[in-house]
Amino acid sequence: MNLVEERRQEALSLFEKVGLPNKRDENWKYTDASRLADLLEIDGSNTAINIEGLGMVDLDAYRMVFINGAFDAAQSSLPDEVNIVSLATLQSSVSDDDSQALAKLFQVSGDEPLFNGLMALNAATASDGAAVCLADNSVLNKPLYILHVSNQNNVIRHGLMLGEHAQAQVIEHFISTAENKALSNCVTALILKNGASLEHSRLQQEGKQQSHIARVEVKQCRDSSYTFHGVELGASLSRTDLVVNLSEQGASCALNGLFVLDGRQHVDHHTRVDHTAPHCTSHENYRTVLDGRSHAVFNGKVVVHEGASKTDSVQSNGNLLLSKHAEIDTKPELEIYNDDVKCAHGATVGQLDDKQLFYLRSRGVSEEAAQELLTFAFADEVLAKMSNTTVRRYIEKAAFAKLPHSEGIEGLLGE
Amino acid sequence: MLVIKDLHVSVDGKEILKGLSLTINAGEVHAIMGPNGAGKSTLSNVIAGRDGYEVTSGSLTYKGEDLLAMKPEERAWAGVFLAFQYPVEIPGVNNTYLLKAGVNAKRKYQGLDELDAFDFMSVVKEKAKLVELDTSFLTRSVNEGFSGGEKKRNEIFQMAVLDPDLALLDETDSGLDIDALRIVAGGVNKLRSADRAIVMITHYQRLLDYIEPDFVHVLADGEIQKTGDKSLALKLEEHGYDWVKENL
Ligand SMILES: Nc1ncnc2c1ncn2[C@@H]1O[C@H](COP(=O)(O)OP(=O)(O)O)[C@@H](O)[C@H]1O
Ligand SMILES: [Mg+2]
Repeated sequence: MNLVEERRQEALSLFEKVGLPNKRDENWKYTDASRLADLLEIDGSNTAINIEGLGMVDLDAYRMVFINGAFDAAQSSLPDEVNIVSLATLQSSVSDDDSQALAKLFQVSGDEPLFNGLMALNAATASDGAAVCLADNSVLNKPLYILHVSNQNNVIRHGLMLGEHAQAQVIEHFISTAENKALSNCVTALILKNGASLEHSRLQQEGKQQSHIARVEVKQCRDSSYTFHGVELGASLSRTDLVVNLSEQGASCALNGLFVLDGRQHVDHHTRVDHTAPHCTSHENYRTVLDGRSHAVFNGKVVVHEGASKTDSVQSNGNLLLSKHAEIDTKPELEIYNDDVKCAHGATVGQLDDKQLFYLRSRGVSEEAAQELLTFAFADEVLAKMSNTTVRRYIEKAAFAKLPHSEGIEGLLGE
Repeated sequence: MLVIKDLHVSVDGKEILKGLSLTINAGEVHAIMGPNGAGKSTLSNVIAGRDGYEVTSGSLTYKGEDLLAMKPEERAWAGVFLAFQYPVEIPGVNNTYLLKAGVNAKRKYQGLDELDAFDFMSVVKEKAKLVELDTSFLTRSVNEGFSGGEKKRNEIFQMAVLDPDLALLDETDSGLDIDALRIVAGGVNKLRSADRAIVMITHYQRLLDYIEPDFVHVLADGEIQKTGDKSLALKLEEHGYDWVKENL
């Protein structure tokens, strides 16, 4: 057995030991993972899906397509000169010398922040993923668009390494072609070497019955910069753990989240940022728009360790409740073990502002359109930080379509 | 155009307007003056249709219709415009988009076709000149980060674009320096017309040096205490509001 297989066996043993997260785990208080037990039993047979007409983002980008967790080379388009391959391909061809590095990607330890059984299960059973390695000083000249299409269970594990001063933009998009129950379990592990810079978007738009479990791990070296946009529109249950380690000085991250939920959707993001080195910055901004009986959970924990002087950390979480049955549990958490820091954290929960509504109506905007406009503006504030306008417009349009009376202000898009 | 009869309005159970009557015809410019807390903004908010004001008795008739039965947006479509004393900041809502939505909703109400983007922009650019508003303001969020004077100019700019029949200017002069006041007043003067009525609510006489009113009313204790011409404003300036009460 090679090193990679060993790690995966260990991960499987770990999962068998700890099982699914349960409500006794403080981090899973609001999200019922026992709902996922039945889904684990479903067996997937790989069916082909043609991505034509599925509502992809129309991007000038390198494209990696995963159908039910398996890389589909025919529907993908990748540059020749850059090291982007499918994980399964890499695994089958890797030399003994390189297997050590690859094995690391499958190593899971129970001590990691926000550890849970599902991430061990992911390491044990992932069928494929993207393996990206950008050389020092290389700039990926187009965004990398990773499209995940599913109609059944799928387990995906991506590993991306950006060399020193490398730059890239990565967009992960999740859609499904069936309305049946299924589970997606996706891990994205990122390493940013000195001075590397990555803008990473995750757009979750799976079907109404789907469950989506994700973990994004980021290790940041000196002066690296990471920007995350997590957009949650689909699935019935979606949980993301976002774990960022600012491990060397001058590293900075910006974590942006937007949930637009309705019906009985349940979306939970737990973020954990560790400041372990001086002069690091973390800016976090999450917004939720909740209609129907939807339920959002936001838990943002920032830990400023002893050595992390001159830490600059801002966290804000705004929640707009459009229905009295919608629910938000928000908990910004801050642990500081250093005096020389600048930290500001806060959360708001509310309805639309009466003064703003009246102002718009007094200018001739109908009540419904005014509500829509303010809701949209509230949500769009988070997207303003997205550098790719094509992706932003796509998300705006999709988010917009979920709002209750969007007809009145369609003209807003694209202006 | 607007007939206000014996209007009684309460806020949080406290009576603010206590039987106010006033008639405003097309082509006229009225100034309503009064001390702080007299109910001037209450009056303008009731006309524009803001929630939270309880009309306990009396009537507001606009172009023969019961204004109180109309929603704020319907009043706007019918030609009522309020320049706010404190314009509201609306992050994320583009100034031009708001106006386009307002203009087109009104046109729809009037049975007209929507303006196309080109025609709309030429109107907007022309009107921006009226109050010397830099076109960079057009693409910014409504009032967000505007200075006090820019907000007031933006209100008059919006008025110019929305082309109302009845314009209420609530303390549009407050907080303006002399140059800004001159610009704003110049804009308002250009908007005077035989079809339009303008009601200026102000605390200070100096605005009336720039925009000459046909009528000056003194609002105090929830009622119009006195009506006169421009000289009334000068007397007020000289003697203060107590003079009105003493000389009833
Ligand atoms: N929304 C409100 N809530 C509570 N009180 C109000 C409100 N609006 C006005 N008032 C009260 O009504 C009175 C008149 O206010 P206002 O109409 O703003 O006066 P003016 O504009 O003449 O200065 C004041 O006593 C004020 O405190
Ligand atoms: Mg006032």
